[in-house]
Amino acid sequence: MTILKLVIRRSLMSVVTLLLVSLIIFSMLEVLPGDVASRILGRDATPETLEQLRTELGLDRPAPVRYLSWLGGLVTGDLGNSLASSRPVSEILAPRILNTVLLSVYAFLIYLPLTFIPALLQALHRDRATDHAFSVVTLVLLSVPDFLLATILLLTFVVMLPLLPAISLVDASSSAWEYLRAMTLPALTLAIVMAVYAVRMLRDNLIEVLDSDYIRMAELKGLSRRRVLLRHALPNALVPTLNVTALNLAYLVGGVVVVEKVFSYPGFGSLLVDSLQLRDLPVVEATVMIAAFVYVVANLIADVAAILLNPRLRNG
Amino acid sequence: MSIETLTAPPSRWNGLLPLWRQTPLSFRIGLIILLIHFVIAATGPFWAPYGYSQMGTGRPLSGMSWAHPFGVDQLGRDIFSRVVHGAHIVILLSLSGTLLGLIIGAVLGLLSGYVGGWFDEILQRFLEALISIPFLVLALIAIAAAGPELSGNPVLIVLVVALVYAPRIARMARTVAVDIATRDYVTVARLRGESAWSVMRRELLPNATSVLLVEFALRAGYAPVLIGSLGFLGFGLRPPTPEWGLMISENRALIMITPITVLGPGLALASLVVGLNLFTEGLARILGRTVKLGVQ
Repeated sequence: MTILKLVIRRSLMSVVTLLLVSLIIFSMLEVLPGDVASRILGRDATPETLEQLRTELGLDRPAPVRYLSWLGGLVTGDLGNSLASSRPVSEILAPRILNTVLLSVYAFLIYLPLTFIPALLQALHRDRATDHAFSVVTLVLLSVPDFLLATILLLTFVVMLPLLPAISLVDASSSAWEYLRAMTLPALTLAIVMAVYAVRMLRDNLIEVLDSDYIRMAELKGLSRRRVLLRHALPNALVPTLNVTALNLAYLVGGVVVVEKVFSYPGFGSLLVDSLQLRDLPVVEATVMIAAFVYVVANLIADVAAILLNPRLRNG
Repeated sequence: MSIETLTAPPSRWNGLLPLWRQTPLSFRIGLIILLIHFVIAATGPFWAPYGYSQMGTGRPLSGMSWAHPFGVDQLGRDIFSRVVHGAHIVILLSLSGTLLGLIIGAVLGLLSGYVGGWFDEILQRFLEALISIPFLVLALIAIAAAGPELSGNPVLIVLVVALVYAPRIARMARTVAVDIATRDYVTVARLRGESAWSVMRRELLPNATSVLLVEFALRAGYAPVLIGSLGFLGFGLRPPTPEWGLMISENRALIMITPITVLGPGLALASLVVGLNLFTEGLARILGRTVKLGVQ
């Protein structure tokens, strides 16, 4: 019973968090800095056009009313219309989200070997040259901003070894092969950034597990090092790494903003930057809410998994 | 006469050298890299070969040479000089933004953890919501919210860095405060009738110092990246400011011709962050804490 209670309590907290996120975003973008209509029109504003736009956007209504109707729309899936193109926001968002999901799946596939192979090698050769070399490499990579890493990869695989396209423009008519080529560099950038962090975590976890009594026991039984590492240590080191994966998913939501922009990949992150530049508020608000939703759900899953995997709670 | 009085009193420096030798290697390397950056930031504007917006310093789009180690951009500006002129901007904005975030975060977190109750509950939910927005996205919408008049203003960048960091630091400070709040000396202070503010300042803050120091170093290490990302996306400082992220974005179109104009500012940015990260890791080890670099 305790587990169920904990999970429900945790889920309710996530709902409260998302409600607060919506309140924060709405007040930052629509209430705080005065009039939205004059910010949209900028210098071209005349009193007539301002008045017209205000009525059009329903800005003559008080802010709490506007917030509630926006929130109601969010919950029912009606995200309003884009100010820039007057198309429904959901219609603009759907293909962008699909592109970003594809990119993220691709990035995660590259991320797995990039994480496990170095971490296992480091744990096997701990405190020796291999371990130190990887530690230095991961520390340096950790310090390279994602937009710089993306630019360096671009320089390597587009300019020096002309293997891949510099610009990742794809649309519905692109073939699967074109998609794959277009996504490789952005996915590789995201995967490296995520892996660097996970490698450091997994290495420490593995070494901690390797120092424990039951591993010494397995070694004393005469099992090979490889078997001890893969069968006994790795599964136990994975549990704390779960949290890293949730954090990495959270990074991914923000990371796509920069990486997609660098490669002009038409995903959800580049949509956010473009619509911020156009001051297309309905699109911005919807995009930010989705980003926060992914983050909150990822953390919820990680916490619930931690609750379920915790033996002290499991028997309670 | 005892032996102690015969030996010369140890000078300050004699005491510091063994202390230096005891510090972890990562800390020493980090500190040296940081010192180089600080010296360049402080003195650079006096010895940089050219001004940061001076045009016609060489043939536009020329690559690496003795006269122009980082090449020359499209407008004929010397990139090395621009990188040197940019050092104090990047460092000053990063440190002041992080410091402001630290102050706001520490006060909120310590008070909230100590006072508890509904104040704590509401504040925690609110901070949690702010943390749920990816930091770069939060920074971008904060800049959009500030409106076009303020965009490109260095003060706005400092405020945005503080806005992104304060909730994360507050969460950390709160954990410390909750832990300390039940100790005897805090109870005694409360029974003496001290206000929450005074308990925070006199009892909680001194005990949270090492946590906050590591937290400051960790966040400061990421601030140049955040500022650079904003500049890179066109939401940070305005041209012709020689901010490194902005320079990487400006010269990116020329990467096929003069890659060094991108790699030069990139090297400056990455080496500063490497220095800060090594320093953080070493500092955490000295203070007996663990730190997970790269946790945003």
